[in-house]
Amino acid sequence: MGWAALVLVAVLALGGCAERPHDAGPVTLVFKHAKILGPADPMPGLLREFERRHPGVSVRSEPLTWTSDEQHQFYVINLEGASPTFDVLMIDVIWVPEFAQAGWLLDLSPWVTREELGPHFPAAAAAAVWRERVWGLPWNMNVGVLYYRADLLAKYGLAPPRTWEALVEQAARIRAGERDPRLDGLLWQGKQYEGLVVNALEHLWANGSALLDEHDRVFPEPERAAAALSFMRGLIESGASPAWVTAGDEELTRRPFGDGRAVFLRSWPYAMDLFEAPDSPVRGRVGIAPLPARRDGAAGVGATGGFHLGVNRRTRHAEAAVALVRFLASEHGQRGLTAPGVALYPTRVALYEDPAAVRAHPFMPRFRDLALTARPRPVTPYYLMLSTTVQPEFSAVLVGVKSPEQAIGHARRRLEYMLDGIR
Amino acid sequence: MTGRQRADRLAGLGFVAPAALTLAALALYPGLWVLWLSLQQRVPIFGIARFVGVDHFAFLAGDPRFWNAARVTLVFTGVSVALELVLGVAVALALQRQRAGRRLALSLLLLAWALPSVVTAKLFEWLYHPSAGLANLLLGRELNWLGDPSLALLGLIVADVWRTMPFVALLCYARLLTIAPEVYEAARVDGAGRVATLTAVTLPLLRSILLVALLFRTLDALRAFDLMYVLTGGGPANTTETLTVYAYRSLFQTLQLGFGSAIGVVIFVLVMGVAAAYLRMLRREGLAS
Repeated sequence: MGWAALVLVAVLALGGCAERPHDAGPVTLVFKHAKILGPADPMPGLLREFERRHPGVSVRSEPLTWTSDEQHQFYVINLEGASPTFDVLMIDVIWVPEFAQAGWLLDLSPWVTREELGPHFPAAAAAAVWRERVWGLPWNMNVGVLYYRADLLAKYGLAPPRTWEALVEQAARIRAGERDPRLDGLLWQGKQYEGLVVNALEHLWANGSALLDEHDRVFPEPERAAAALSFMRGLIESGASPAWVTAGDEELTRRPFGDGRAVFLRSWPYAMDLFEAPDSPVRGRVGIAPLPARRDGAAGVGATGGFHLGVNRRTRHAEAAVALVRFLASEHGQRGLTAPGVALYPTRVALYEDPAAVRAHPFMPRFRDLALTARPRPVTPYYLMLSTTVQPEFSAVLVGVKSPEQAIGHARRRLEYMLDGIR
Repeated sequence: MTGRQRADRLAGLGFVAPAALTLAALALYPGLWVLWLSLQQRVPIFGIARFVGVDHFAFLAGDPRFWNAARVTLVFTGVSVALELVLGVAVALALQRQRAGRRLALSLLLLAWALPSVVTAKLFEWLYHPSAGLANLLLGRELNWLGDPSLALLGLIVADVWRTMPFVALLCYARLLTIAPEVYEAARVDGAGRVATLTAVTLPLLRSILLVALLFRTLDALRAFDLMYVLTGGGPANTTETLTVYAYRSLFQTLQLGFGSAIGVVIFVLVMGVAAAYLRMLRREGLAS
């Protein structure tokens, strides 16, 4: 690890390559993006179409690994090293303000008005804007939803739960009735990683609390935040969730639910395509509901994720790069995401009612309603600092090592040292 | 010194120069740069770069997360290296006695050692799966391996031992092959039993190779990163966060180059200290003179 640090430092020290003068000949755009998983990849087709529409411009696509951490590391090293080796980049929504603040992204405001973001889901559009400027265009998105076993709920005459308290009661009733020791109640992501912060944010919001408010205050309402965290711990203590959710990520929780071994699951839209696959044991038996509210709290809201498209500030072909970003983020470009076999969801609201898209993904209209009310994670350049600081604290609460009040106190103290001189 | 000797000396320096310069450029220069960074508050995305002296080290001295990471690193290193040595010697001795299938056993050992540690980590992620994993199936219990603060570190140690024990085993096995049969014959003539042969003949002969294995394994374990990064992300509640994971999070995730470098310097000092201690031990054995 020491070596990785040394490499970074070496890159920082030796970086700063000389820029070649702008050449007017044929333009080649280099596009760095996450590898598209799933049986079908819409990217090559879209890029060839863009080239046909823009004679003289060719696009070289260079996929990165799917791990978000590794992509971040790649971008940090190359953008801080002022490397102009790529023009267009796909970035996780939580990095947009960070990269903008660092001066790595081209300000798209001269080309893209705020109105152009209108057709996108509000949560996706909000994550593209930082300090009143537009830094990226939304490309695909995720929203936290509640999956439930429609067949089991119907068997016991239950409607999908509207509050977390009702969910706990329903899970207990169904498990008692089924007498199946292998059937769990609610699965969610409690491993010490970004997914835990997403889950915790949803509980904080459901309880009318927040991690960061509009005045940049951390845990503006510590009592409500503590209550939300202790509810999460309570899910494990009461047995509503199995103890192993403290090590569960998306796939580890998606699989047991997909094998029919849980009543409820909090996850992302991609899971539905897998539950509805021809060989899935729960095919036709899974329902989608908004995340529950707390009995005395605000409405339940899902957190969003996804990727945006940005332009390297050091690009030598700003016009062409912006054109590519706008093409991919256009309704036509995003329609590529709705093709059969693509497991990504677009950020444009209209596509969720597009007949061809709905034929390939029958649940899109349902996701549309949930995504409309969803919220982005805190839009701030120090989001990662915030997230990596609270991850171990939240994890400590879940495994019962710290009380919620202690964990919140420790996180606040730490963030004060880290953010000293930044804010 | 004659002219001839001086010329030889000069030529010698000339031959060493490329290696020395490469080392200086690749290790010394970045190393010094990290030391310089560790004395600064540097957060490039916010344009912060100011000299803070030993502030970061002072913060670390009172930072419970740092001390926790240091403790996790030492426990992980101590326990996994000890288990690797004991099991490695046992496996090497078993291999030596084995008649049939020795080649197969050797290739299986090599397979575990040759797997990239990220692959090993993914493998163990499913082995440790609480309801569907092989580990719990064999134990007949529902242990929460990676989500229980009292089990997670043990889970990582087991994975690390599985992965790197073959390294020790193969080194020892190679040494065992070179022990002349006459030595054992002599031991038998002297009336040594199995235990006495092991403790008075085999182990002393393995001693020097074990020291080398110990040196390699300790330095590797102190810098371990991939296993915990993939399997637990340092959790739950930071019970598996080593110093390297802490440094990675500070450097690459939150881009605090100064603070992260300070942790890097601590790891460097730790590793160098251990390496120096071992080298002195090896020199006393007459191996590194």
